[in-house]
Amino acid sequence: MAKAVKIVLAGEGGQGVQSVAEIIAEAANEEGREALYIPNFGVEQRGGVSVAYLQIGDQAIGSPKFLTADIIIALSDRAVHRTRKYVGPDTVFVYDSGIEGVEDAIPTNAKKVLAIPALQVANEELNPRVFNIIIMGAVVKATAVVSEDRAKDAIEKKLGYKFEKNPKLRELNFKAIDRGAELVAGLL
Amino acid sequence: MPEKPIKGDKRYFMTGNEVVAYAAVMANADIMYGYPITPQNEIMHYWTRMAPKYGKEFLQTEDELSAGFTTVGGVLAGRKAFTATAGPGNTLMQEPISMAEAMRLPIVVAVQQRGGPSTATVIYSQQEVTLTTFGGNGEGFRIVYSTATHQELYDYTIKAFNTAWKYRFPTFILGDGYQAKMRESLTMYDPESRGIELVSPEAYVGMPGTPGIDRPPGQYRNTYNVEEELYEVLQQYQKEYDAIAPEVAEFESLGAEDSDLVVVSHGVVSRAAKEAVMELREAGVKVGYFRPITLRPMPEKQLREVANKAKTLLIAESAIGQLARLVKDSIYGCGAGIIPLFKPGAGITAEEISAKIKSVLG
Repeated sequence: MAKAVKIVLAGEGGQGVQSVAEIIAEAANEEGREALYIPNFGVEQRGGVSVAYLQIGDQAIGSPKFLTADIIIALSDRAVHRTRKYVGPDTVFVYDSGIEGVEDAIPTNAKKVLAIPALQVANEELNPRVFNIIIMGAVVKATAVVSEDRAKDAIEKKLGYKFEKNPKLRELNFKAIDRGAELVAGLL
Repeated sequence: MPEKPIKGDKRYFMTGNEVVAYAAVMANADIMYGYPITPQNEIMHYWTRMAPKYGKEFLQTEDELSAGFTTVGGVLAGRKAFTATAGPGNTLMQEPISMAEAMRLPIVVAVQQRGGPSTATVIYSQQEVTLTTFGGNGEGFRIVYSTATHQELYDYTIKAFNTAWKYRFPTFILGDGYQAKMRESLTMYDPESRGIELVSPEAYVGMPGTPGIDRPPGQYRNTYNVEEELYEVLQQYQKEYDAIAPEVAEFESLGAEDSDLVVVSHGVVSRAAKEAVMELREAGVKVGYFRPITLRPMPEKQLREVANKAKTLLIAESAIGQLARLVKDSIYGCGAGIIPLFKPGAGITAEEISAKIKSVLG
C-alpha cells in the first residue's frame, strides 16, 4: 500500500494553520483513513512560527514527525525559512506569492515550487477571515488526502452552528475551498 | 451513580493527553492531584472538565512534591489516586514516589517526557527512562509501561490502575510530548464490557476495628531504626518483585527469532522501528524488531532469548543510552553486540532507522 502523505503547514500565529491541519485530519479520520496531526509547541507564548505536521495514509502511521515532506505550505517569510529543511527531491513547496524578500530562501531542491496568491484572493475576492480555508482548499487539491466534498463536510461540522445563523458564511467558506483548489489545480 | 463517558466501543480522534484523562475516568480513578507542566497539562484540563460530571475529584497543589505526596495520601485513604507530570516535575516527584515504594502504595503516575536536563524543551524526549524506572533513593520497586500509540495510552492507563492495586507497587504510564500532543485515532471502550475487572481500592488507614484485636495493625513505614530491619524489608520486597516480574513484563516482537540484526526500541520510537523493519522484511532483508512494553520490569527472558540468537542489537532511542542501559543489564552474558542510534531529545524516523540498518548490514 502507498505510504502516508506527509504535509507541513507553517505560518504566523493567527493565520490558522493549526485549525486547517486539524480539520483535514479529522476529515480523513471520518473517512476511515489513518491520520496523525501534531502541532509544534515550544516555550514561546507568542511570536513563534506555527508549524503543523500532518500525515494521512491507510496503514498505521510511524513517527509523528518526519524529515522530508511531500508537500509544504509556507505562509510567511519566517515560515519559508523554517520549513525549507523539510524539502527533498519529491517535495512540492507552496508559498504565498505575497511574501516579500524570500527569493534567496526559496528551496532549489524541491520537485516543484508553487507561488499562489492566496492572501490576495482572500483580501480582494473573498474575505481575509477565510484565508486559511483557501489554504485548506489548496492542500486538499494538491494532496488528494480527502475529497473536496469531504473537506466541505468537515467545515460544516466545525462551523455549522455559525452557518445556521448566517448562511452566507457557509457560501463564503465553500467558495474559499473551491478557490484554494483552483489556485493549485493548473500548477500541479 | 453517574454515567460513564464511554459506553459502547467507539472510534475517537483526539490528543494523547485527552486519552489518558478518559482512561483514568473509565478505570474508575477517584481523584487526580496535579501541578501544571507542559506537555502533560491537558491531562489535568480534561480530567477537571469531566470530574464533576462523573463524581470525581481534583486538587491542584503548589508544586510536584506536593502533588506526589497528596497522591500518596489519597491512596492511604483508599482512593484510586493519580497524578501526571513531566521533566523537572518528574524530578521533584521522585521524593514522594520513593515514599510510595517504601510503603508499597499503588499510586499511578502518567509521565509525558520532555527534553532534559533541567527545563530544556517542553517538546519531547525519551530522557526520563532512568528517572521513571529507577529514580529516587531506592531500588526501583515500580512498574513502568512505555506506550507507543493512543490505543495503548488508553489500554495501559486502565491497566496501570489494576496493576498498581493488584501488586501494590507504584505504576507509571510513560508517554512523551509527541504522544501527549498529537491527534490520532483509537477505539475507546468500557473495560468491563471486555471482561476487564477493575480492581477495587482499599483504605490503608482508618479501617474499622481495633488494630491487633479485630485486624492486624497497619504498619506502613518509611523510617527504620536499624539496618537489619530495613534490610529484611527490602529483601522481602525484592523477592515479591522478582516473583511477579514474569507475569507483569510485556513485550512486542516481530521476526526477532530469525534475524541476525534486531532493532530494540520503546515507546513512540518503536512506531518508526516497526515501520522500518516491516518494510525491509517485505523487501527480503532479514531484520527483527523487539520492543519492551514494560521497562520495569524488563521482559528479561524474552530479551535474552533474542540476544542469544541475534548477532547485533540496534538500540534506537531519543536519549543517550537510557534504554540501552536497561537492555545491557538484562542481556549480560548473552552473545549479541550493541550498536546505538541515540538522538537525545529529538524524534527518530523510520527512514533514519532503515538507513542505519542498511549501513550495519553493509
